[in-house]
Amino acid sequence: MVEKYRHLYVVVEIQNGKLIPISKEMIGEARRLMDGFNQKYSSDEKVVAIVLGSDIKDLSKELIESGADAVIYCDNPQLEEVTNIIYTKVICQIAINKKIGGQIESKYAQDFKRPRYMFFAADSIGRHLSSTVLAGLNSGLASDINQLVIEDIEMSHQQKTAGKKEIYEKTLEMYRPDFSGFLWTTILCLDNRNPAFKRDYHPQACSIIPGVFEPRKPDSTREGKIIEFIPRIDQRDLKVKILSRKVIESTVDFETPRTIVSFGRGIKEEPEENIKLVEQLAKELNAEVGITLPISKKPYPISSRLDEKYMIPDRVIGTSGHKTSAMLYVAAGVSGAMQHVWGMKDSGFVVAINPDENSPIKDECDIFIKGRMEDVIPLLIEEIKKQIQIVETV
Amino acid sequence: MGQLNVAVIIKLEPDFSEGNVSYNPDGTLNRAETKNTLGPHSGIAAHAAFFAKVMYDAKVSIGTMGPPIADLALQQAQQISDAEELHLYSDRLFAGADTLGTAEVLKTGIHKMKEKMDIVFSGHRASDGETGQTGPQTAWKLGFTFLGNVVSYTVDMETRTIRAKRLISLQGTPDVLEEIEAPLPVFISIDPTYKSSFDKVSQRLAFQKYKKEAEKRADNYKDYFTMFNADEIGVAKSLVGLPGSPTIVYKVERVPKSTATRKAEVIDGSDPEAIRKAVGKMKEALDAMVIK
Repeated sequence: MVEKYRHLYVVVEIQNGKLIPISKEMIGEARRLMDGFNQKYSSDEKVVAIVLGSDIKDLSKELIESGADAVIYCDNPQLEEVTNIIYTKVICQIAINKKIGGQIESKYAQDFKRPRYMFFAADSIGRHLSSTVLAGLNSGLASDINQLVIEDIEMSHQQKTAGKKEIYEKTLEMYRPDFSGFLWTTILCLDNRNPAFKRDYHPQACSIIPGVFEPRKPDSTREGKIIEFIPRIDQRDLKVKILSRKVIESTVDFETPRTIVSFGRGIKEEPEENIKLVEQLAKELNAEVGITLPISKKPYPISSRLDEKYMIPDRVIGTSGHKTSAMLYVAAGVSGAMQHVWGMKDSGFVVAINPDENSPIKDECDIFIKGRMEDVIPLLIEEIKKQIQIVETV
Repeated sequence: MGQLNVAVIIKLEPDFSEGNVSYNPDGTLNRAETKNTLGPHSGIAAHAAFFAKVMYDAKVSIGTMGPPIADLALQQAQQISDAEELHLYSDRLFAGADTLGTAEVLKTGIHKMKEKMDIVFSGHRASDGETGQTGPQTAWKLGFTFLGNVVSYTVDMETRTIRAKRLISLQGTPDVLEEIEAPLPVFISIDPTYKSSFDKVSQRLAFQKYKKEAEKRADNYKDYFTMFNADEIGVAKSLVGLPGSPTIVYKVERVPKSTATRKAEVIDGSDPEAIRKAVGKMKEALDAMVIK
């Protein structure tokens, strides 16, 4: 059978010449998926890493050790800084390059058209890059994914199949959590088989939330192909100049404090007063304050001091923000949506304050204090004052 | 020097503010009961366009794809930005579009606007599940230089170049503020932390003047408003709506309850004795804390 779409291409990211963690996480997940794929379909499709930059050839070995079968690299001083337009064009060139397909695997050199799947990082670079690359390739993209499955899917769809039952083989099911964390939406990227609008939509692409998937243990015995790609660079695409880069220190620190006190929508009855209570509790415990994702959307009118200090994305604990392994984690009025739990589950000891015993947070805590935060926190503060004195450690 | 022309693409979204948002008992959004409004990120994009109005006397246009009731979002965005052209792209054929199908409509709509655009703004992302793809994909289709995560900008009207600061957050590395320069036209997706500031008296006066004008215009927004269907903006029907959308939502499900990772001891929050014991356990967990 002719296979014009083959392999999983992973666009990795680097910072200061090093791979950032999401790169190896994506390679690790790609390896897991394609191992299953090759077994299931008796196939031999590859995990192919794409890396762009200046002086980056040495990263190829690391990518292969992390699970890639092949690495396509573009080493060019003009690619040292990531700018969307030139990166988009180079990645599109790579994706549709037949010769590269043949270098990865000579057997299908004639038939290869495009990758079957593509991964990007869901971060400040990859989110936009994935969007423009897939616009360039005219195919589909699902963003902020945290689970991936490959299946043969039988379906009839009013438009895609003109209502006829069809089997879409080797389809990537891309799961994305919604903002509340309680719903999971599965996105598919499917060819139009409807005769009225027949069109192929490949690659099937997604951006992956950093921190969700595990990287593999590096295996120095792994071997793979290292392929250099010399892109065509149009000088007109180099018109964005980077004038300066300044590192900014976050004002929120989830690393140093041993305790984190987080709040969620449970503040809703008395938002202003409840945030003040959380603030006091955090002070007593020398803790940093975290929030859930819905709070960063500023759902409640509160004074600007509290709003600007607390209802900010930088404080979000969860897949859209930070991950913590605090020794003590106090979740006040937090329901325990999947994304939030991901950010706090590695904490040492977890105390939840919540009136609803059916909240998912109950399964993620060591002590569940049943009650409204406005009633419980004052009692807690009083007792902490009696029992605990924080010693500042340097 | 020439006129500066800016467009904003916006979206009507569920209103997440208290009193307007409604959740189902299981914690999911109750869309039927939740009111709609101009998306907060769209609002920030409109503020960024108003900055160009105040600073450079720019002409502002706004476009959105949506149902007829999305005129509400256009009016709200006009009130922020003092726009003099409001476009609503509305057709049953557009329904069910993913970001690629939406970007095609928006690109075609922007070409239909009276002026040739120098800057197009979009919000960072929508709040209700949209993914921040529409902006960059529209930029790509327009052939404009895309600048994401922009927190501030200035335009040099002589050289027709923009200077912008971008906030870049990558996992495991500190955030970086990058200053860049690019010739117009550009497409800007505005960072949620964007705030306009006007330092000079002349700017504040212009701000006041245009703010008043914006209020007045928004009161009569119908005078500035045009609705287009697919034929009227002239999109290729195979590139919009369902046919122009590679992706579909296959299923929506409740996230399965994960197996309990901890066995919680449940205590009564109104019982001081139980609280005393709980604090004792918290104290044990923090071995670096000492007892008085």
